[in-house]
Amino acid sequence: MKVFRDLAWFFKQEKKAYLSGIFMLFLVAILQLLPPRVIGIVADEIGARTLTLGKLGLWIAVLIVAGLLMYVFRYYWRIYIFGASVKLARILRTRLYEHFTKMSSHFYQRKRIGDLMAHATNDIQAIQQTAGSGVLTLVDSLLTGGFVIIAMATTISWKLTLIALLPMPIIALLTNWYGTKLHARFKKAQEAFSFLNDKTQESISGIKVIKTFGQEKEDINDFKKLSDEVVEKNIAVAKVDSLYDPTISACVGISFFLSIGFGAKFVLDGSITLGDLIAFNTYLGLLIWPMLAFGWFFNIVERGSASYDRVSRLLNEKIDIKDHEHAIIESPKGNIEVNIAKFCYPDNEKTVLKNIKFTLGQGKTLGIVGKTGAGKTSLLKLLLREFEGYEGEIRIGGKEIKEYRLNALRKAFGYVPQEHFLFSASIKENIAFAKPDASEEEIHLAAKIAAVHDDILGFAEGYDTVVGERGVSLSGGQKQRISIARAILLNPEILILDDSLSAVDAKTEETILASLKENRQGKTTIITAHRLSAIQHADLIIVLDEGKIAQQGVHKTLMKEDGWYKDMYLHQQLEALVEHGG
Amino acid sequence: MDEIRVLSSKEQRKVMFRLIKYAKPHIKPIIFAFLLLCLVTVGEVTGPILIKIFIDDYIAKNNIVAGPIITLAVIYLFIQIANAFLMYLQSLKFQEIALKIIQQLRIDVFSKVQALGLRYFDKTPVGTIVSRVTNDTEAIKEMFVSVLAIFIQSFFLFIGIFAAMFILDVKLAALCLLFLPVLIWIIHMYRKLSSKSFSALRELIGQLNAKLNESLQGMSIIQVFRQEQRMSKEFNDLNSRHYDAGIHNIKINGLLLRPAVDLVHIVAIIIVLSFFGITSMETTIEIGVLYAFVNYISRFFEPVNQVMQQLTFFQQAIVSSARVFKLLDEKELAPQQKNDPQAVIQDGKIEFRNVTFSYDGKQDVLKNITFTANPGETVALVGHTGSGKSSIINILMRFYEFEHGDILIDGKSIKDYDINELRDNMGLVLQDSFLFYGTIKDNIRLHNLNISDEDIKEAAKFVQADKFIEKLPDGYNQQVTERGSTFSSGQRQLLAFARTMATNPKILILDEATANIDTETEEMIQQALEKMREGRTTIVIAHRLSTIQDADLILVLHKGEIVERGNHQQLLAEKGLYYKMYLLQNGLAENIAEVVQHKV
Repeated sequence: MKVFRDLAWFFKQEKKAYLSGIFMLFLVAILQLLPPRVIGIVADEIGARTLTLGKLGLWIAVLIVAGLLMYVFRYYWRIYIFGASVKLARILRTRLYEHFTKMSSHFYQRKRIGDLMAHATNDIQAIQQTAGSGVLTLVDSLLTGGFVIIAMATTISWKLTLIALLPMPIIALLTNWYGTKLHARFKKAQEAFSFLNDKTQESISGIKVIKTFGQEKEDINDFKKLSDEVVEKNIAVAKVDSLYDPTISACVGISFFLSIGFGAKFVLDGSITLGDLIAFNTYLGLLIWPMLAFGWFFNIVERGSASYDRVSRLLNEKIDIKDHEHAIIESPKGNIEVNIAKFCYPDNEKTVLKNIKFTLGQGKTLGIVGKTGAGKTSLLKLLLREFEGYEGEIRIGGKEIKEYRLNALRKAFGYVPQEHFLFSASIKENIAFAKPDASEEEIHLAAKIAAVHDDILGFAEGYDTVVGERGVSLSGGQKQRISIARAILLNPEILILDDSLSAVDAKTEETILASLKENRQGKTTIITAHRLSAIQHADLIIVLDEGKIAQQGVHKTLMKEDGWYKDMYLHQQLEALVEHGG
Repeated sequence: MDEIRVLSSKEQRKVMFRLIKYAKPHIKPIIFAFLLLCLVTVGEVTGPILIKIFIDDYIAKNNIVAGPIITLAVIYLFIQIANAFLMYLQSLKFQEIALKIIQQLRIDVFSKVQALGLRYFDKTPVGTIVSRVTNDTEAIKEMFVSVLAIFIQSFFLFIGIFAAMFILDVKLAALCLLFLPVLIWIIHMYRKLSSKSFSALRELIGQLNAKLNESLQGMSIIQVFRQEQRMSKEFNDLNSRHYDAGIHNIKINGLLLRPAVDLVHIVAIIIVLSFFGITSMETTIEIGVLYAFVNYISRFFEPVNQVMQQLTFFQQAIVSSARVFKLLDEKELAPQQKNDPQAVIQDGKIEFRNVTFSYDGKQDVLKNITFTANPGETVALVGHTGSGKSSIINILMRFYEFEHGDILIDGKSIKDYDINELRDNMGLVLQDSFLFYGTIKDNIRLHNLNISDEDIKEAAKFVQADKFIEKLPDGYNQQVTERGSTFSSGQRQLLAFARTMATNPKILILDEATANIDTETEEMIQQALEKMREGRTTIVIAHRLSTIQDADLILVLHKGEIVERGNHQQLLAEKGLYYKMYLLQNGLAENIAEVVQHKV
């Protein structure tokens, strides 16, 4: 029931829909009482042989009107109540999405995408059910159940009503109990199923090992065992699931038995008519659904409540990177001064960056190199304010980056991430991702600078080729270059290439670097790379080692020093030779 | 992906027919279940008849005789209770059969997957195959359990009710048949409208989830490029479209589902009342019959409602079945063997003769490869990524079929051997040591029951894996979690060695790990390798040239061709590709500078 309190805001907001829906349910509950009554009256008239065509016509007319009205009302309460519940799902989905867009990288490091997806799908569905079927089962079981019982008790016989109803609460109790049991067993069956799923996944991923050891048959046997488990657990579900119908049928059967048996006595002593008895029995038939609904209601609400708690917890996650008051609206411009004493990722004690100090003049190019895990990407993430909580400061144009609005700060950057991520959209849309209204010329120019224009024209649908999960698969190099074009299109004040040339060959790399130089006069560029050729012409080169600056300078000076840079440079030259077959 | 989305009705029938064939082995339990169902149906329709007798013969005539009434009551109660039991049994039986049928289908699909060649796995993502084996079969299960069971039960009940009605009153029963076409029309309309609106809804929820998933994956891009608002708006648009589709669906359900069926129910009651009313104006009629008819009619409409609600699942299951059958019909099988019983591996001599191989039939990744590995010798393959080293192993292991040239083992073509003869005598250690769910023991033994616990310990000891295994809290019974990520890559490698050594192969094929391995384990691995190679013909892909200096033959590959061959000393003296690779790994800066400057 707590979930209804939690959802009070929504019920208030959708007051009109819910009240209208409940009113319609109310009307249906009353109209439903008519047909059994009419059957009873007509039966009595037939028994007494007093029925005339006129009377019959009248009662039939009543039935037709009642039937049509019920049809209309039944249609509309669905629209009102189920419609509102679909709306709730939409609202919650939107809220979650918007919340997700505000969460920082730290949040995404902690959460698994699969879990987040589960909240947005299964949990929202359970909440939607609560606001729809949950409300319906509660209202309908109370209204229909109540009215039917009242009609039975007042128009026929309250004594008979009491007697006939004896088995009915058993239905509600048992079905509710079945529901709980079913849920628990269903969960086990789901677990067995996901176990089978994991097994399948494992077998297919490890198919080479299985084939190597000639264990196909044995693996199939293993699969059989697990699928036996699935069958067993599902039969356990079926054992409960199959209880519903017999229970209802037995209880209703006994209820009919009691009503006919005792009803007969009442008919014989003249307190009710035979027609009353028939009507009474038809009323009894109407009670089955409210009893079932009442049993379901608790199951639905139980699940909805757990889901609502999970979704609320997610929506209450604090937004950790946000604008300060009076933050600067203009985008930053000018020299970049970095002075970081120490940085660790949240919830982690390992120092990732230490004593990083350098200044990069406006319009200059910075190269950052070093081993994997030396802290190159971390440094870029701080620059982009994806993380905070470092000791020290980063200034652009003389002001700390925290003082700018996040939106203004990021406007200054064009970022090409290490893992090239493209969206399921056309190449055109992907390049114009940050500027959807860009002209064809702009898009083509960006693609040309990134040396991917010719590749794109090579696809059957050119710039309209759809990429991403559901589209054509591109090579790593093509993806990288499209990511580069996406950043270049913005003509940003500061362009960041985070190891973004790793999958292109040396010649293409040279082309891209040359056209960047030509097109980005006066603009700042930051490049991290494994291949030193990508940064060898930079105005400032920083060699990072375990989060600290190990060497600093330009290519010429660094080649004169004995150290990582020179060793690596020669090493890579040789590597290039080997790649070309000597 | 060539996902199947729409099927013609002819294809649907074909799929359905093939599915039903899966029920054949279960014919006995099925007949039993049908018998139960018949009994249940008879039980269900006798109740109202008994009450009718009670009303007409005793109450209406005011004829109360204790004896017959008690008999009637006992019969009625007995039928009700017995029927509940039968009903339970019947429902359980049907579900059991359905589950068993699906299990068979699942095992068939899985077995088929195991029989497929690696080419199939190259072109099909793992997720897709997994979803054929599990999710698609699950959708078919839903159909068997809920749709078909309800269909059959409703059909029986329908026959039973009409039989009872015909017994009670032929004319009226015939009249009641009239609303059948109306119901069929409603079901038809509903199917037509709902299948469209339901698939639209499903398509949209799919898009919505895909969009959300993609956004979560690319959130840092969205944020860095400040597209939060635009993406939110796009998501909202999709969300709104989904909402509209949801409302549309509710409308169709409202128009044609329960409200419509309930309306037909009232029409049926009107027919019954009019019939009895008009007849009663001429002759006396029995009220009990009226009661029974009204009762039957209410019973009849409940299953109709249920059937209609299940219709949408039916469509889905058919599509899933079609996908499953497509996989079952897949032709990309593992390479076939001639299974010559006389082909037995004795010494383990391996010869490659002019082997040319291509994965896609267009681009050759191996060109004219010829070499011989004599019994007990070690042949090392070196070369840059993409040079063809792994392809040599792939065809030697019969993962892929090759068309040109031949590979001989002990003088017989590799294609002549029984696959088990090859697998039993050739031990492959893969670069990425794949660990399965289970214990350490399970991972060394795999499913081979011929390997005793002693053998396992011996194998572990042989490769020096015993030291770290025995330090684990549960020793050999330690559970491997998350694909072995709790072990270091060196430890995983040792386990993979032990796994291979436990089978004691004559031929050893090694793909050296490239991953970073701590120096301590590295040393153990080298020692283990040396011991393993002793007395075995070994083909090794070497990434660290230091490990193969004593190889009998080193083949240097470049773009699918053998460009240099010889032993370590000979190759170094050549000062070619091998020499440069060697310098890269071991060379001093001066040597490198010399070579680089020389070339530049």
